[in-house]
Amino acid sequence: MIRLACLLVLIAVAIAVNMAIHPTGPNAILFSFVGVPALGAGLLVFGIRRWRDGAFSSNRSST
Amino acid sequence: MGKVVVEIVALVLAVLARDGWSGDAATPLFAWPPPHRGLDWLQILPLVAALPAATIALVGLVRGRLVPAAATAGIVLLPIAAYGLGALLLIEDSKSVRFCGSCHIMTPIAASLSADGDSLATTHYRRGLVSHEEACFVCHSGYGIWGTLDAKMAGVRHMLRTVANDYTFPIQHRGPFDIDSCLNCHARSATFRAVVAHQDPDTQQALVKREMSCTGVCHSAGHPEDALKGPA
Repeated sequence: MIRLACLLVLIAVAIAVNMAIHPTGPNAILFSFVGVPALGAGLLVFGIRRWRDGAFSSNRSST
Repeated sequence: MGKVVVEIVALVLAVLARDGWSGDAATPLFAWPPPHRGLDWLQILPLVAALPAATIALVGLVRGRLVPAAATAGIVLLPIAAYGLGALLLIEDSKSVRFCGSCHIMTPIAASLSADGDSLATTHYRRGLVSHEEACFVCHSGYGIWGTLDAKMAGVRHMLRTVANDYTFPIQHRGPFDIDSCLNCHARSATFRAVVAHQDPDTQQALVKREMSCTGVCHSAGHPEDALKGPA
């Protein structure tokens, strides 16, 4: 699950890097409509993983 | 080792961000403003957040586990920072003619600005009456902060329509053209006020009530018809 979160974040970050180096219309579309959802999904997966690990309860464990 | 890496990264970023004069040596006066070399700081800031995030995410992808603090930084904080700074870059850079012209639908319109013709946009651009860097934004953003906000919302709609392939040629302006953009410069101009047609009370009322616009009635169209038909 952590791999999935990392993959989604990696895709999102790659799109952000591409947009930062070449700020054009097509890259802005990619940034807004692919990158942002990928980042959101990555954060969601990571949050679920952390929640299942008990990170948000009093008994914490490692990721 | 870590210090060396930080110094190398700082050096690379400094080189990427450098400004420099590389104008035409034969006609340096006409090469103003000097072309910007390398990356702008607004471009570098998202990279500063994105590159460490990518490194941490790559390690997590390969190893399948991460130290919680590194995971929080690399999967949550740094990517969010990269996207926040990237959004700032987009908001600022989307004002440029280069950005508008980078979408194939708008490419002919951006190209027509510097071509021969008598459209309002071409006339303003070629005479240097609007900024050559932000000509599209100057005329299409309306006046004040709400004009800027409307322009950004219009930009999002343009992106959605492009993604959905929901557009037709010739490109048409959505609703009447916001003449506040025109009046912002012209209203206080003596030559504008001296025109008899501009002094007519009925015309003034019609313009103020947005029942008529400057373009297409008394003045020539904003852009050449050929350019509005899309790429050849």
